Amino acid sequence: MLKTVKKVALLGMTSMLVMQASTSAAADVDFMNWSSTEEVNKPRIKAMEESFTKATGLTVNSIGYAWGEMVKNAFLRGRTNTLPDVMQVQARLLPTIAGINGIVDLNQVYGQKNLEAMFPPAMLAFGNVDGKQVALPWIGGTIGMVANKAVLAKAGIDSPPATVADFRNALIKIRDKVPNSVPYGMATKNNNSIVLDYMIWVWTFGGDIVTNGKPVVDSKEATAALKFMADLVKDRLAAPEIDRPDARRLFGQEASGFYFDPPIARTFAVDFSGKGPSYGANVLPMFTPTLAAGGTPTSIQWGHVISIFGAKNAKPDSPAAKFAMHLLSKDTLVDYASFSGVLPSTTAGQADPKIANDSYLATWAKHAGTPRRNTLASLSNGAAVANVIGEEVQAAVLGQKTAEVAARDMQARMVKAMAAAN
Amino acid sequence: MAADAATVATPPVPRRSSHARRGGLKAAERRFGMLLLVPALVAFCGVILLPFAKALGLSLFKYTIDMDGPEFIGLGNFARVLGDAAVRGSFVTTLVFVGLTTACSIFLGLVWALIMNQPFRGQSALRGVSLLPWIMPATVAAFLWGWIFNARFGLINAASLQLGLIDFPVAWLSTPYGAMAAVVITKTWLSIPLFMAFFLAGLQSMDQEQIDAARADGAQNWDVLKDHVIPHLRPVLLVTVVLGVIGNLQHFDTIWALTAGGPVRATTVLSVQVYRLAFEQWDIGMAATVGVLWVATIMPPAYFYLRHLMKGVE
Repeated sequence: MLKTVKKVALLGMTSMLVMQASTSAAADVDFMNWSSTEEVNKPRIKAMEESFTKATGLTVNSIGYAWGEMVKNAFLRGRTNTLPDVMQVQARLLPTIAGINGIVDLNQVYGQKNLEAMFPPAMLAFGNVDGKQVALPWIGGTIGMVANKAVLAKAGIDSPPATVADFRNALIKIRDKVPNSVPYGMATKNNNSIVLDYMIWVWTFGGDIVTNGKPVVDSKEATAALKFMADLVKDRLAAPEIDRPDARRLFGQEASGFYFDPPIARTFAVDFSGKGPSYGANVLPMFTPTLAAGGTPTSIQWGHVISIFGAKNAKPDSPAAKFAMHLLSKDTLVDYASFSGVLPSTTAGQADPKIANDSYLATWAKHAGTPRRNTLASLSNGAAVANVIGEEVQAAVLGQKTAEVAARDMQARMVKAMAAAN
Repeated sequence: MAADAATVATPPVPRRSSHARRGGLKAAERRFGMLLLVPALVAFCGVILLPFAKALGLSLFKYTIDMDGPEFIGLGNFARVLGDAAVRGSFVTTLVFVGLTTACSIFLGLVWALIMNQPFRGQSALRGVSLLPWIMPATVAAFLWGWIFNARFGLINAASLQLGLIDFPVAWLSTPYGAMAAVVITKTWLSIPLFMAFFLAGLQSMDQEQIDAARADGAQNWDVLKDHVIPHLRPVLLVTVVLGVIGNLQHFDTIWALTAGGPVRATTVLSVQVYRLAFEQWDIGMAATVGVLWVATIMPPAYFYLRHLMKGVE
């Protein structure tokens, strides 16, 4: 009996090892990404992998993690020497990922000149950390403000507001003329979402979150921005319990006039409107309102980039390097970008008629203003700092603290959090 | 001949069983009992003891996910935890949540058990239906209650607006008291069936003649409850209180799904705090420290409960 059990166990273990070995042997490229876990993008990613196999005979093993789990899993895989060959990375998190041992300098793989010829400088800069090209830009854009034309029409607003004062007046009109609306879908829930809205408003008011490695959130400008946000909720121009997904839904259902999002906003609006692709015409990219007329509108750089790991992949003819280039090849990239309603990263992709003739994307690019890099992206404990900012902004907008007290507390907690990281 | 005599003189050695050689039947039974415990012990060590020992060790290290390895800092993490007003606040929030939820669950569980113990038509069906919240996944219950409390589409706001009690929808989950009330109500709703089952079992073992005699002596309902039912249920009450406290101290899923510990930190109990530190901020050392302190708060009621159980066995 015991012998039989031993035999079965041995057989099981052997077959597991064989299966494992055959699985890893079968794939030429391990591609770690989050897009394949999203229902809407899954078929697109699969198609890109299949077209690569068809073109090269090389196979791809897609390793999917939820968006929020990517960084953690990248580090855990780094520690256990199981890093993927190719990885999709959120551009703002690249400075964190760049610290993983084994990340490849892509200038040495493809040649700096070739990359400069392939991408516009601003796009190529997305993948550069401390002078090292640790990623190639894939899709990009900015996180900027969008307005819903249909909602503006209902409220009697002719054009998107240009200044902060005009913006507030527009919100009041929407509140008064569109019943049961949340005029501005400001993020008031989920610290990671709150931080983005707060960051843009702080910049708009002339302040910043971190300067020269030190938090400056209790400045006059940052406090004014926080007070502005708190007043919006107090006057029912924004609402509690709103996260980005809620804002997207409200916007698509014509219950919200404005919110911040990447260009993918149009895709969500079309989806939530239930009225088909024609509804996309209602999504108006606009300049973020400025404090005074003629000011410089701000937005946050946004994009997905592609990194490669492992010395064996640091050659232009490695399967990983070939796969990264396949993702960036004109047809593959343009299809993916136009479907997602975002800008492709390559010069050739942006020049493609499908993209160049998309008035939405052209308008978006025009209204990006002066995009800035996410201030928190380069902090090693950015997640902890974002948590502090999110909590204090939430305390202010929900009326639990005055803007002044929240700004002071935020400053003190950020100093502590940033000191703990050093 | 001499050799033969010697052979005859030596008494034959009785054949003894292997059990007898090693201390008799009792000892053999004990060894067998220990052997049966081995799988459970191995599982306990692998799943609970070793991870806990590792967490205990990690609490003495600075260890964030971007570090190559842990760096020993002694009691530095404990000093950070005790010096952090936000983390200290989580202990208070936990006490409030555990206290309110345990009290509400036990009170309502007892009331419902008393009702279910009365003979009436459809009693069995109602008892069965009463168990529904218990078998419902906690996250499903959280989403259900999330919709009830929702500011825009929630049942509470809709009813309150209809009745003219409020002029504008109230964001219940965005106020500290509203959010705490929501998580307490949800967890209580989930716990009532279990506690009801405990109390119902206790009530059914009660001597009906004792109650009849009390009533014959003129005792009213309250007197019967106070002087006969509650004293009879005291052992059950003790177990349910301890189980309730332990369960609520460990609770995570409903709170996370309903409020994610917010607004701000209004419902950030210790379990949520550990999750945030470990899986959002990737500060493993600090998460282990809060986890160790969290276990320390669970230990006293767990010890009390186990001692009570052991006494029962003896």
